[in-house]
Amino acid sequence: MLNRFPPLAVAAAAVLAGMVFAIVFMEQESDVAVISLIAAAALAAWLAGRAGVAEAVSRAALASPGALSALVAAAGLGVVAAFAEDHFPLLMLATVMLYATVALGLNVQFGYAGVVNFAGAAFFGIGAYTSAKLVGSGVPAILSLPLGGLFAALVGLALVVPVVRTRGHYAAVVTIAFAVLFKTFLEVNDAFGGPQGLPVAAMNVLGWDFGDAPTLFGADASFYLNYALAAFALLALAFTLVRRLERSWLGLALDAVRLDETGAACYGIGIRRNKIFAFVLGNAIIGVAGALYGCMQGYVAPTSFTFSDGLILVAIVLLGGMGSPWGMILAAAIVVVLPEKLQAIQEYRFLLFSAVVIAILLFRPSGLLPRRVRRYFPEGGR
Amino acid sequence: MDLFGQYVVNGLMLGTVYALVAVGFTLFFGVLDVIKFSHGDVLMVGAFTGFTAASGAAALGFSHPLAQLAATVVFALAGTAALGAAIARWLILPLKSAPRLNILLATLMLGTALRESVRLFYPDGSNPKAFPALLPTSSWQWGQFTLRADSSILVVTGVLVIVGLHLLINRTRLGLAIRAVAQDEETARTMGINYTLIVLVTFALGSSIAAVAGVMNGLYYNEINFGMGLLLGLIGFSAAIIGGLGNLYGAILGGFLFAALQMIGAVAMPFASAYKDVFAFAVVIALMAWKPTGLIPERASDRV
Amino acid sequence: MSGEMLLSLEGVAKSFGGVRALNDVSFGVARGEILGLIGPNGSGKTTSFNVLTGLYAPNGGRIAFDGADITGASPQAVYRAGIARTFQRSRLCLELSIFDNIMVGNHGRLNRGLWHNLFARRALKAEHDAAFAEARELVALFSPSLADGMFQAVGALPMIERRRIEICRALIARPKLLLLDEPSAGMTHDETHQLMSDILAVRERLGNLTIILVEHEMGVIERVSDRCVVLNYGEKIAEGTYQEVASDPLVQEAYLGSA
Repeated sequence: MLNRFPPLAVAAAAVLAGMVFAIVFMEQESDVAVISLIAAAALAAWLAGRAGVAEAVSRAALASPGALSALVAAAGLGVVAAFAEDHFPLLMLATVMLYATVALGLNVQFGYAGVVNFAGAAFFGIGAYTSAKLVGSGVPAILSLPLGGLFAALVGLALVVPVVRTRGHYAAVVTIAFAVLFKTFLEVNDAFGGPQGLPVAAMNVLGWDFGDAPTLFGADASFYLNYALAAFALLALAFTLVRRLERSWLGLALDAVRLDETGAACYGIGIRRNKIFAFVLGNAIIGVAGALYGCMQGYVAPTSFTFSDGLILVAIVLLGGMGSPWGMILAAAIVVVLPEKLQAIQEYRFLLFSAVVIAILLFRPSGLLPRRVRRYFPEGGR
Repeated sequence: MDLFGQYVVNGLMLGTVYALVAVGFTLFFGVLDVIKFSHGDVLMVGAFTGFTAASGAAALGFSHPLAQLAATVVFALAGTAALGAAIARWLILPLKSAPRLNILLATLMLGTALRESVRLFYPDGSNPKAFPALLPTSSWQWGQFTLRADSSILVVTGVLVIVGLHLLINRTRLGLAIRAVAQDEETARTMGINYTLIVLVTFALGSSIAAVAGVMNGLYYNEINFGMGLLLGLIGFSAAIIGGLGNLYGAILGGFLFAALQMIGAVAMPFASAYKDVFAFAVVIALMAWKPTGLIPERASDRV
Repeated sequence: MSGEMLLSLEGVAKSFGGVRALNDVSFGVARGEILGLIGPNGSGKTTSFNVLTGLYAPNGGRIAFDGADITGASPQAVYRAGIARTFQRSRLCLELSIFDNIMVGNHGRLNRGLWHNLFARRALKAEHDAAFAEARELVALFSPSLADGMFQAVGALPMIERRRIEICRALIARPKLLLLDEPSAGMTHDETHQLMSDILAVRERLGNLTIILVEHEMGVIERVSDRCVVLNYGEKIAEGTYQEVASDPLVQEAYLGSA
């Protein structure tokens, strides 16, 4: 019945509805309101699916992916602007965007190349500790983000030989061992502050002090607005990069390596080269996100980068749908926001996540927004 | 020298516990080619079940340590056996044809669920529990070196369990059936073996062996907590992997090797004994680079 | 072997543990020839392919291809030298589209530069469109209906279509030698007949491509092969036209003995 409208218009309406929902949802304080809104959203999503909205959105995504991305980005900025004066929602939004960025990095690793990484939280931590060490010691903040990515990638290089030589369960043990090793190392090493961790100075990019509250249309905004905008820019960058990677011959080679190493080798695709590329690129993305996260939090401590945190990151990738960049963002939003909004379940959040992920694995293994067949370029585009 | 002796005893004890955990991973991998990562947390559930049974027995008036010990062992073993079989039946068998990573994740998440359930729902579950000392506390003295009766009993028990498992797998009809299923599901079925039953029995068996390790751990350190299974599970998994999956001897070798690494880390670097786990896991990573399919590799199976 | 040979194996041996899968195997393929590689189950046909394509390193012997020594070369190097293969059990990437699967086979000819792929989207688009047209044309030779749905996932297609795509994947990069490992596996007699006709037709258009064909269905071998090599227990027991080897008592014994 929606066939009469152009798909892009339907998609725009859906994105707008999503934005309004996100704003209303984040304003709620009571558990009852939050739960009712979740139920309403589930019902609306189901009805929209029946009415052909999903169909229209996917046609819009096929015909004009750039326009759709721009719409979603504008909606995201809209949500950020709506909370420009509130510390807590902004912190939460920025965290969602950073976690989504991390998930995009992990997605390159095991969504595309099939290289499992249970140490995502460790590489995130390497980025955060890099900015803790650097920003305080006078290194310009604008350098600390890429350096965070660089260090994460370099440390990852130390694991490259075992990661590339092993497969399946044997590969899993490498990153699991590294995750445990990393956290233990931080706890016992005084240079990194031991169990208490380290404080991180506020970022200052070319005279733009992130610790300072910016003024927005005459009103004082929260200083977290700086971080939310930076996180947004980072996510947009990572998203574009991962999207283009997927829709290129490089992404195809990664898929071929994941799906069948023997077959890929017989068609000239270098197995090691592709795995190393994906592992290093993924860790670099995760490290940059970690560097910004460290600055935003103001301190870094080993307890934020444990094996269990790594599991949550992996859960985001799976929940969103392996290989699906939009899925990463949706899943990161759910995993970060839900427990914060539902005070009643705050205490039970790990239990709930594990139950949800098990249910997803059993009943919808391709995730919330399953990956679609690759289209390199928009249909009938220029 | 006396300190060295203590390290050896401690290392043997830890090695036995690790080997018992690793053996479970290997058993499960053998029959289903899956990694059940909730294994460490099943161990923790076993330790808590045993602890509850011991407290219950004491509350019912069984004051003799042996009676409490019997209750501990019986309930811990039975409880984890049932839990292990239930996990196999409702989580792992339904996912049998899913990608390996999905099963690994599902069981990792189940481990988290078990851990969190104990923390949230066991009375005062977030705090460590003092595990009762149910074994004789006497000790023998050789110069500076002290050998405690309880640790000797524990090590001997652990070794006996491993030997018993070896005999069960290699000398009994049940063991034959388990090996048949491990070799090939289809062939085992045509031989008239009840495939599902054998899988469930294997998971029950492996899980109750983990409970032995959990109770041993409780008796040795006189303390258990809801998070104890995570590291033990990780170590047991690493041990099974460095030994080479699907091979009981590899798992035992890996278990003792890991304990030895920790001891070497502690003895060789006394100035930094806190780094012993860092050292041990670093060696695990290096071992994987050197022997990507473990010290005793499983047979290659990628048919082209 | 004479210099006319495109590929020649000399005394190639391969053993697994104590089992000799290939023992002193020598044969060659001339340019433009279709060679049938036959033998009972477990006689070493697929192992020969795996050694040829670099999946297994031979324990002895030499393999020469198009004037170069490729003994023990990696699978990637063998592919670059101009040998493409299909597999007995289909190894298509089922989640990927028809186009993606064929581009896997085209990988060596695509520009894999980082800048080109990530930032030069216009140039990539031009390359993509050319590759798409070429792939579509190739698929259309086998099945016009498939060519209209290049972006459907391969997993949803029936076996014969998958075989066709697998052969397109092997052909897209214009190899000098095509290795077909039991193209009839999992298909009916009629489907096999249809597929072989397609292969022969496409082969003519590609300038009499050289082919080695492993096949169980003797009817197929009789129909398409110029010459046959017969393996048994990892050794070559006969060589010649189909009629010659079929009447060879050693060959008859090998087949009847295994039946």
